[in-house]
Amino acid sequence: MKNDIVLKVSDLKTYFFTRRGTVKAVNGVDFELERGECLCLVGESGCGKTVTALSILRLFDSPPGKIVDGQISFDSLDLAKCSSAEMRRIRGKDIAIVFQEAQSALNPVLTIGNQITEQIKLHLPLDHTRTVERAIMMLGDVGIPSPASVMSYYPHQLSGGMKQRVLIAMSLSCDPKILIADEPTTAVDVTIKAQILDIFRELKVKRQMSAIFITHDLAVVAEIGDRAVVMYGGKDVETAPVSEIISRPKHPYTQGLIDCLPDSSRSKNRLMSIPGTTPNPMDMPPGCAFHPRCPRAMKICRQQEPTKTSISDGHSVSCHLYT
Amino acid sequence: MGKSWLRDYVIKRLIYSIIIAWGILTITFILVRIGPSSPADKYLANIAARGADPVQATAAIEARYGLDKPIYVQYFNYMGNLFRGNWGWSFSTSMPVIELIKTHWIYSFQLILLSSLFAAILGMLIGIYSAVRQYSRMDYTFTFLSFIGISIPNFWLGIMLILFFSVNLGLFKTYYDTTLPLFSLDNLKALILPVITLGTGMLAGYVRYTRSAMLDNLKKPFVTTARSKGLPERTVIGKHVFRNALLPLVTIIMFDLGSIVFGGAYLTEIVFGIPGLGQISFNAIFANDYPVVVAVTLIGTFIVLLVNLATDISYTYLDPRIRYG
Amino acid sequence: MANKLLDALSSVGHRMSSSMRLINYYWQRTKRNKLAVFGLAFIVFLVALAIVGPFFTADPTAVNFDEKEIPPIGFTTQQSMYDIASNTFTTKEVNGTWKHPLGTDSKGSDMMAMIVSGARVSLLVGLIATGIAIILGTIIGVLSAYMGGWVDNALMRFTDIVMTFPFFLLLVLVVFIFGPSLAFIVLAIGLTGWTGTARLLRSESLSIRTREFVTAAKALGATDGRVVFRHLIPNAISLIIIIATLSIPGVILAEAALSFIGLGDPTVPSWGVILESGQHTLDTAWWIAVEPGIMLFLTVLAFNFLGDGLRDAFDPKSNV
Repeated sequence: MKNDIVLKVSDLKTYFFTRRGTVKAVNGVDFELERGECLCLVGESGCGKTVTALSILRLFDSPPGKIVDGQISFDSLDLAKCSSAEMRRIRGKDIAIVFQEAQSALNPVLTIGNQITEQIKLHLPLDHTRTVERAIMMLGDVGIPSPASVMSYYPHQLSGGMKQRVLIAMSLSCDPKILIADEPTTAVDVTIKAQILDIFRELKVKRQMSAIFITHDLAVVAEIGDRAVVMYGGKDVETAPVSEIISRPKHPYTQGLIDCLPDSSRSKNRLMSIPGTTPNPMDMPPGCAFHPRCPRAMKICRQQEPTKTSISDGHSVSCHLYT
Repeated sequence: MGKSWLRDYVIKRLIYSIIIAWGILTITFILVRIGPSSPADKYLANIAARGADPVQATAAIEARYGLDKPIYVQYFNYMGNLFRGNWGWSFSTSMPVIELIKTHWIYSFQLILLSSLFAAILGMLIGIYSAVRQYSRMDYTFTFLSFIGISIPNFWLGIMLILFFSVNLGLFKTYYDTTLPLFSLDNLKALILPVITLGTGMLAGYVRYTRSAMLDNLKKPFVTTARSKGLPERTVIGKHVFRNALLPLVTIIMFDLGSIVFGGAYLTEIVFGIPGLGQISFNAIFANDYPVVVAVTLIGTFIVLLVNLATDISYTYLDPRIRYG
Repeated sequence: MANKLLDALSSVGHRMSSSMRLINYYWQRTKRNKLAVFGLAFIVFLVALAIVGPFFTADPTAVNFDEKEIPPIGFTTQQSMYDIASNTFTTKEVNGTWKHPLGTDSKGSDMMAMIVSGARVSLLVGLIATGIAIILGTIIGVLSAYMGGWVDNALMRFTDIVMTFPFFLLLVLVVFIFGPSLAFIVLAIGLTGWTGTARLLRSESLSIRTREFVTAAKALGATDGRVVFRHLIPNAISLIIIIATLSIPGVILAEAALSFIGLGDPTVPSWGVILESGQHTLDTAWWIAVEPGIMLFLTVLAFNFLGDGLRDAFDPKSNV
């Protein structure tokens, strides 16, 4: 039996209308987030995963970008259509997001303390002392040493890993129901990556928070995810629990991603890669977006977009091989 | 890092400024000396105009002002005099130059202060608005207007304002009334047209600089982070973006002081008859009154030097990356 | 022999055609900015006016008190005259005529003639003084960057010192000391206005010096001189063009301002002088102040539009 669903994205389409053409960054994405689970959005750069995350909180630049279709159901609201005031209430409080570029995601001229407490003051009815206490506690929770002194530091005085932790602490400061993490391990080196994954694991256990974890790294998905949504060309192409995605991938793209992982048990000479490049969002190929690179493409793949089919409970694919 | 570094930096800048100050005085001295007419000639022209005997007068002047001594002695005398506050004698007004300056500087000061405030405040507001509403009709209008503001010759603008508001509409007097007490409302009213004249060029510049600084910062990732916290847009713009834009803006504004403000103030004073330092320099030119022209130039230059120094030092306080770097 | 000649010609031709292509590319980008095009058109018009105008207009220095203070065509003013003998005021209406389409000044000189010869003055001063300032600034800046060490230090301190002087105050001082002849005014503006260029060229040279293609060229054996000529100058040229276009209006205004305060060359009919004389007759003959001012304003505006357009065209990051 499914747990209750905290977020449901239905047929989301976010386009960017620029002078040079319309960029269909997200072109029909569906998924559900269950309470307490960690859902991973997986895919190569440019597949629309970041824009999907931004769309949930409507954080993309609004003159060029617009949600043209679809629904984002959260807590009896449709986030795609709700007012700015309602959106601002939810941001940072019910749904929080952590970005990947910790280097530049913090305001360089304000102290860490200032940046954390402003969020707490905005959403929680605490007085000043309690606010500061809470901020220090959050910083400690993510493993920042001597958090009380860090409060008066400026971002440039911290290392990359510390900054990333600060961002995570900030996002958790108001106890959000959903945390969206956009590639938090991509821009950091391996040791920090391990530390950050540890933090996320701990958070999952301690807080039972629902999370959407965006990454292109299947290894991370395996370590931390409960379910995964594989994205390609602005659409979701396969959704399944992580164990099934890894052991029984159905979509040729997912299979390709798994084959790409270096595996020392296989004594092959070359690393595998998926031939070709990701499609240009302004100029998508007709039919199935993956067909130019697909080793099992058929005639119909060039002509028609595949529909979603359910393989088993909780596992669905969009591929003509299975319709 | 920390306190001692800051102190060292300030000391370094002070020494540097002293070197520049020395350079300024030396260059001025050289210019005055290599001019085709020696200062004696200029005094001469005046004396001759009053009917005295040129030859005797020349000798007397040269002895009095030490112009017959070798150049390096003159140089030391010059430096010494300047430090002691002896800035020469203005014979067109028959008083020591320093007295002349004491009575007139306040008029320049109030003009420049009011114009700068007007230009800075209005300029920043319009610049922020333009950046936030980029590509809107208002933005294009403001950009166009700022081109016009930069391009209007400010002395002509002053004359046109007088033509329109004083001559045709009779709203203001055509000439500045010096009998008005400085802190009166009447004085403020009399300063409206001059402040608009001097301020317009500065305003246009501030609008462009603010707009571009804001635009640069609006693109940065920390802005998205701020929004993602749920902060209202006015806080995002006013607290997060503007404070970052302010840093380079402050330096640009301060350094611009030298190039635009003093030249503009000089001309504005002349057009409106405001008896500030520009006006007395202007009068001195016609009367061949050397020391006054030199003194006004030096005052302007030293103010620029001090402002540069102050900006330099305050920037290290404003930018935490430098203060705690 | 013939082969070598053909080779040389083809390389020159190649160089020229690639320059032409470059020029065309930047011109296309500039053209899209309508304001810049207007600016350029006005400047061309002004240049034509300056060169050809004097042949078609009256003598600007001709004085004729009978025809003083005639308004421009289409306007009518009242002129009062006081006759000492009969102790009466007579007022008559004066109309603009085609003989003096822009009116006359207080001495009866034709305004149009004066404006046209003023154009000549402004453009000449603008071009030559800017040229001096830019050449001087470029030499100092590039030299400073390339010599480095104490030369760089000394030159930059010197630049700082000169830069601290407010430009106009320094100019006034210099012209006051040395005398207001046109040649000297041009020289003075050039010799006081080079500091910005020097700074910009120095930083451009320093940045080019550390760029990879210079290292590559040097690795292939290029000498410093060769690097300067073949690599630095072409990259710097676009910067120099923009600096020049944006400096000319300041220079023209500086000359006009000097004339306005009486430090201009008295033998030369500059717009600033006309403006100054118009100040005193604002109530009776407003056009004397308005016309030269409009010309100054439009000229400065045109150069600013063009300069800004060029700057956007040359900036690879801006999407023109």
